[in-house]
Amino acid sequence: MKLSLNWMKDYVAFPDDLDLKQLAYDLTMSTVEVEDVRPLAESFDKLIVGVIQEVLPHPNADKLRICKTDIGGEIKEIVCGGSNLAEGMRVAVACPGAVVRWHGEGEPVVIKNAKLRGVESFGMICASSEIGLADLFPAKEEAEITDLSAFDVPAGTPLADALDLNDIILEIDNKSMTNRPDLWGHYGIAREIAALYHLPLKEIKKFDASGIPAMKVEVQDFERCPRYIGAEIENLSVKPSPWQMRNRIWKVGMRPINALVDITNYVMLATGQPTHAFDADHIKGNIVVRRAADKEELLLLNDKKLELTSDDLVIADTESAVGLAGVMGGSKDSVLPETNKVILEVANFNAAGIRRTALRYENRTEASARYEKAIDPERCDQALSMAIELFKEIYPEMEIKAFSDSYPEKLVQQEIDVPVSWLEHRLGKEFSQDTLTEVLGRLGFATEFHEDIMHVTVPTWRSTGDISIKDDIMEEVARMYGYENFDGEKITTSFTGAVNQLEIDLERKIKEYLAFRCGMQEIFTYPWMEDQYIQAVLGSTEGMLAISTPPSPTEKYIRSSLLPNLVKAVAGNLRYYSEFSVFEGARVFFDRNYTSRYDQSEQLPEQRKHIGGAFAGDYKNISSLFRQAKGVLENMARYTHMEALSFRQEEKPVWADAVVWLNIFRGDVKVGDFALLSKKAALESGIKNSAVLLFELDAELLKPFTSRTNEFTHLPEYPMMDYDLSMLVEDSVKWDEIRDVILSKKKQGSLLQSVSFVEEYKGKQVPEGKKSVTVRLVIGSLEKTLTSSEIESCAEGVTKVLRKKLGAELRSK
Amino acid sequence: MKEKLEALLREGREKILAAANETNLQEVKASLLGKQGSLTEIMKEMPKLDKSERPEIGRIVNEIKGRLTALIEQQREELVLKASEIPADFDVTVPGTAPSGGGLHPITQMCYDLNDAFRSLGFEIYEEEDITSELYAFDKLNFPPNHPARESMDTYWLAGHDTGATNEKLCLRPHLTGGSVRYMQTHKPPYRFVYPGRVYRNETTDARHERAFFQYEALIVDKNIDFASGKIMLQSVLSKVFGREVPVRMRIGFFPFVEPGFEIDMGCLVCGGKGCSVCKNVGWIEIMPGGTPHPNVLRAAGLNPDEFTGFYVNIGLDRLVMMRYGVDDVRLFHSADLRFLQQFK
Repeated sequence: MKLSLNWMKDYVAFPDDLDLKQLAYDLTMSTVEVEDVRPLAESFDKLIVGVIQEVLPHPNADKLRICKTDIGGEIKEIVCGGSNLAEGMRVAVACPGAVVRWHGEGEPVVIKNAKLRGVESFGMICASSEIGLADLFPAKEEAEITDLSAFDVPAGTPLADALDLNDIILEIDNKSMTNRPDLWGHYGIAREIAALYHLPLKEIKKFDASGIPAMKVEVQDFERCPRYIGAEIENLSVKPSPWQMRNRIWKVGMRPINALVDITNYVMLATGQPTHAFDADHIKGNIVVRRAADKEELLLLNDKKLELTSDDLVIADTESAVGLAGVMGGSKDSVLPETNKVILEVANFNAAGIRRTALRYENRTEASARYEKAIDPERCDQALSMAIELFKEIYPEMEIKAFSDSYPEKLVQQEIDVPVSWLEHRLGKEFSQDTLTEVLGRLGFATEFHEDIMHVTVPTWRSTGDISIKDDIMEEVARMYGYENFDGEKITTSFTGAVNQLEIDLERKIKEYLAFRCGMQEIFTYPWMEDQYIQAVLGSTEGMLAISTPPSPTEKYIRSSLLPNLVKAVAGNLRYYSEFSVFEGARVFFDRNYTSRYDQSEQLPEQRKHIGGAFAGDYKNISSLFRQAKGVLENMARYTHMEALSFRQEEKPVWADAVVWLNIFRGDVKVGDFALLSKKAALESGIKNSAVLLFELDAELLKPFTSRTNEFTHLPEYPMMDYDLSMLVEDSVKWDEIRDVILSKKKQGSLLQSVSFVEEYKGKQVPEGKKSVTVRLVIGSLEKTLTSSEIESCAEGVTKVLRKKLGAELRSK
Repeated sequence: MKEKLEALLREGREKILAAANETNLQEVKASLLGKQGSLTEIMKEMPKLDKSERPEIGRIVNEIKGRLTALIEQQREELVLKASEIPADFDVTVPGTAPSGGGLHPITQMCYDLNDAFRSLGFEIYEEEDITSELYAFDKLNFPPNHPARESMDTYWLAGHDTGATNEKLCLRPHLTGGSVRYMQTHKPPYRFVYPGRVYRNETTDARHERAFFQYEALIVDKNIDFASGKIMLQSVLSKVFGREVPVRMRIGFFPFVEPGFEIDMGCLVCGGKGCSVCKNVGWIEIMPGGTPHPNVLRAAGLNPDEFTGFYVNIGLDRLVMMRYGVDDVRLFHSADLRFLQQFK
């Protein structure tokens, strides 16, 4: 919301030495967030009023003229293409250095002296759109320049002075005052400033309607329309409103139209209370405020045709609806060029109803925005009296023919008891009764004290929900006192026990393990997935939950697996990197197992925390990529201190390659999968030449140990020998078999201590159908240093059994 | 003779100091003191001397021999100290090999920094599921029934669960606060916990708006907490996380679930409060809402609001990280773009 400082001065007398920065700061700290404070004249720098002395033809261009223009003591030649140039005309001249927009479009441009078709031009004569004044001076045709002849000022007068634009505009963040219906107008903010600075606030006197004949108004639904004031006013006409009214309306962001419409907008901007004027000649019979009939039609002022529901409140005459109450007038009753009498409406409507209607038809207006904040019905008095004053001022011959005020149930002012001791305890400060009375009094609250109880009567403008409990009063006291002025007591604690959260810690350990030890990069992706990747990776959306208003039509489903988005992330990053690994920890969702986990009345779907990862690399290096990825998973449990994981093939994941896949288990519980992304899934995801290994773990099935799980064993007293054996075996022989066969030789007291995999090799020197496997034996004794023949004989035993069981041929040792 | 000896000492010293390595030094030693060395050569002329001169010359010869030997030893020690088996042109300016390049997401980094700071003050970490009912997303938080945030233009409702009573309507949580109520319902006061998590809003995205972003709630509920105490807690936590004094200010703000409510700003760390583009020249950055939990929220959690009060903040992690590093597009956090993520160690 924009506010004009000059306008607010109508209601509160600012001190001469008002510091604007301080005002913005104080309002921000105590009332609403001021986003900007800007002297309006800044935008009109170097723009002045010039008087055209002579209009001469341009020697080189038919459409251009040379205007000899008085810019205040000096005559300058300005080249201009305006269609309405005339001698004696006052025009807006942009002197060199002024900022304009060509034809009101594009980026602002700084004016310089320039030659136009060979003729030197001093600055330019402006059209209203070029200097941001199109709404104030609407042009009738494109090439029209702004005629300022109506402003009787000498040539050279700065434009801002001539048009009375020397004002300060405050821009308030609307979000910061959604809870304060009283602030949505100049008077409301002025009242707040008066309270902050101890300044007197001008009172708006109530309109005295005595003696005016009654007007017939039928309000059928007082719940939705607690108050309706109608006034039939005659002897009017459609004409422009006075300059000051136009310029104020424009300065705060609305468009002046004509005096009848401007009065209603002006009153709304001043008081925050919307008002409306109906053309009285178009109202058949009398005004009726009623619910719409189902499917009743209404053509709005903006030519939108609505089919209404019975939840909508309309203003109608005895024939049909003429306006959508509190939202927008209908086209039938609107102010027309020939309008000469109006019915002025100043009404109060129920906030929730207005909101529903405005949303239903996506037709939010300045009026509906204010109504839906819950305006107090007492404010109608202010708006009415201000409107009538303005009608009188602009139409001295006007007459109020009839009047009515339907207000059966007066607003009840909130009354709240606040124990002073409670207030002091919560705020950490002591307050005297006088201080409280004074501070709250400035805001319009009345106080009475009975021992410890402060009885507070809330002003009408804060009684529609804003202030309803004692904590609200506490806030009022605190903000008037200044939040900055409370220091706060240090918070004390008592020991109960150390924070011990194993699952939370495990998740962090896993993430740190993957990031820091395994060199993987953590990523975040959205919970919704693109259909393309669901199809590619999972093949179906079965069992997935969907969003009813999704971010995009192809991102409806929310994840039941981390993999589609991981694959998408891999595909995206393959544009810049050929080898990398990423992981993500996030929740996945299933349309199943609805249970009440927190609250009996609430059924939530299954949601599990998963951890997934992806390793991307060249297909040629699949073996090493596989070993890298598997190593990450195999060692995870040891480094993060949780129960061990094991790997075997039980059920191939749908997205996995036919050969390279494993299920991951903790004991007998399947906790996840690890596999190469199938060629089909990769291609459908736009991944052509890279191998992608993926894993996904259900983090909730992992079991953290309660503490670190290291074990100490004595360092060997006698040397342990590493003994490498390379052997040829059939391609089909698996490492698991080799290991098991070797370990079958590791018996109680044997010299073989352990065995590990070194490498696997295929290629030259290895016959077709075979592979070379190198293993490392650790041979040693706990009792003595072995002789070389003892070591050899141990190794011999191993090679023998390998030959016997697996047909392994020794290549080297 | 005497002159010859002095010249030998002078030349000998130069040769010794010029010896660049052990072998060199051995050669020098031999050439000076060896059997065919210069000194031996000179001594061969001794018999030609007058007898009376001999003792004096003998003394000088011994002295020179001693001094040269000492010099050689000294040089040997020097050479051992400086010795290297590596050619002298070995390039030490070649860069090192980087350790494996993984890392945590900058949001996770910030979250862990905050967790560490809060845990050091005895806070628990709480986590909860992302899908919640309207009951906990709004009702329990004192949102009026017709509050705009409840609408589908603001909140992601789940298809097939987007109508009916508020305990039946399900959505991706629009904020974390509902979870705080659940925590309070299932734990005994006093409370002291933080609650990090991702939240979701149906928004049009741009550089400053996202549909999924991260919040970090902290809540204390106890009997004796006054309304401004939280400022001290917050200031100390932020100062720990950022490694320097962070000014914090609280100003009026409205949120249904707090009363009184604050907007909490922290001094802009980019310009130190002087005003810059990051803080829109204000010197302060709006970083979180906060306040005293609304009596209705405490009631919803089963507490007596006359007995208990507290302090609540909801830190916007995305904004905090953006401010810390000058990141100018919030959408980068969910981009999964390694070119962005690998900048944060």
